Amino acid sequence: MKAVLSRRAKQIYLACFFAHCLLISTVCCNETFRLISEGFTIVRGMPNEVWRGARELTAATLGQNLPASNPVRQGEAAYLHLAGIEAGYGFFAPNIPAAYKLIFEIHYSDGQVEYETPRARTAAGELRLAGLLDKIGARRYDPLRELMIKLLAHAVWREHPKAVMIRAIFGSINPPKLAEFEAGPDASYEFLYSYDFVLRDQAIPIAKP
Amino acid sequence: MTGGRVSRGKIDNFFFSCLPTTWLAVLRIGSGLAILVYALSLREDWTYLFSGTGRGLISRNLGEQILSLDGVVIPRLGWLIGLGSYVSLSEKAVLFLTWISLVVAGGFLIAGLFCRFSAIVAWLIHLCAAKSGGLVTYGVDNFITIALFYLMLSPLPDRYALDQVWLRWNPRHKELLGFYRRVLQIHLCLIYFFGGITKCLGSGWWNGANIWRAMTRPPFDIISAEVLFKWKYFLPAAGIAICVIETGYPLFIWMRKTRLLWLLLVLGMHVMIGFSMGMFLFALIMIVLNLAAFGPDFSFNSAAILRKAAPKEHNSTEILSNSLVP
Repeated sequence: MKAVLSRRAKQIYLACFFAHCLLISTVCCNETFRLISEGFTIVRGMPNEVWRGARELTAATLGQNLPASNPVRQGEAAYLHLAGIEAGYGFFAPNIPAAYKLIFEIHYSDGQVEYETPRARTAAGELRLAGLLDKIGARRYDPLRELMIKLLAHAVWREHPKAVMIRAIFGSINPPKLAEFEAGPDASYEFLYSYDFVLRDQAIPIAKP
Repeated sequence: MTGGRVSRGKIDNFFFSCLPTTWLAVLRIGSGLAILVYALSLREDWTYLFSGTGRGLISRNLGEQILSLDGVVIPRLGWLIGLGSYVSLSEKAVLFLTWISLVVAGGFLIAGLFCRFSAIVAWLIHLCAAKSGGLVTYGVDNFITIALFYLMLSPLPDRYALDQVWLRWNPRHKELLGFYRRVLQIHLCLIYFFGGITKCLGSGWWNGANIWRAMTRPPFDIISAEVLFKWKYFLPAAGIAICVIETGYPLFIWMRKTRLLWLLLVLGMHVMIGFSMGMFLFALIMIVLNLAAFGPDFSFNSAAILRKAAPKEHNSTEILSNSLVP
């Protein structure tokens, strides 16, 4: 026996559909307005305040202006993550960011120095590692960036337990521009940050959430 | 018939048609395949990527702390590991179990066995991994979540699933076949529209600079710069084509005359991205989503499919749901 959806059920499904699409559009608009207001696009003419205002509006729709503990904000955020719609779709847009490279200079007590880069064991893992370096490069909050690099240094130290100091050197790789390629095809490396970690045999404390 | 009834009928026809289940089979098998590829391609890195502080590449605990700033009720691996500790399972054992569960769920989805349960398990475990490992995720994880989210809500099983062939399980509300396909279609239109618009706003997509930069940037530099340079006059056209294909998707995929062309263009674009940049999983999930949404049996007017499929003397959705949809 085939069950038929009641009129009421159809109305509920349609309401959910419109709410779902509204959330997707709002997240995408929020991301687009952010890119425009921060000057990453070719859009000129309208003052940045207009785009910032538009972004505020979309952020308010997403409940991001509410206190962090507010149940509406929590519920909305949870739904966005459960449905996989919490982020916009501007991949490689509006422009391609630089690639980042992290090099560890491993110092031993006898003065010996080795060089190492963070590595994954699989090609898929390498792709994710590159994404991690992009995220480190994009962080504007210095302590968090330092903590992330410290954790990566700790992973390297586990493989080199006799090291006494690890210097992490973080920089960006800029491939040659199309017009410059014929003149000299080498990518340029730009130094960004350097951190020295003196090692002791203890875990790095990260409180559980 | 009153105007209200006519428009209600149109809305019903647009959203709640009893479509053939082929699209759902594409989504189920494709999502299962994506989950299998995801799990198998990370098999040697799984524990390394998702271990807690001091045991892996980067701390899962840090990823979960950052996630908590977004919301505290978002699923994460830490919850599963916490549950495992109640029965004395180590973190490593729980991570191994989650990996095995993903592989099994992916296999079951491909076969169509216990479809709903498998879809829920695959969605939940993949979501936990993607959220806990937020620092090591990229766009592909969002698309896998989207595919599995719609799959687990859709009226499973489809006609090709072993659930139906062997166990004779049938979905209860077949009108929802049309509804969830519409949701997926409109979601894809939004994805491409906003993806295209954002690209159009970057100067580098109009002169080929972004295509060059994307393909010479590690780790996507699979094709050597020398080879790419030989195609330098083609790059601006490729950049503009991507902007046009993506931004024009919501319009041209619905128009009968351009539908097949646009679907082929989008599929071609994803195949190229997969092979030229090594993003095979990303290409796979996007192809699956597109084929499920606009592939087999797609027509803007669902009634047209029903008329085409059903016997001529019967022209109703009821007949189709009895004759075509098992």
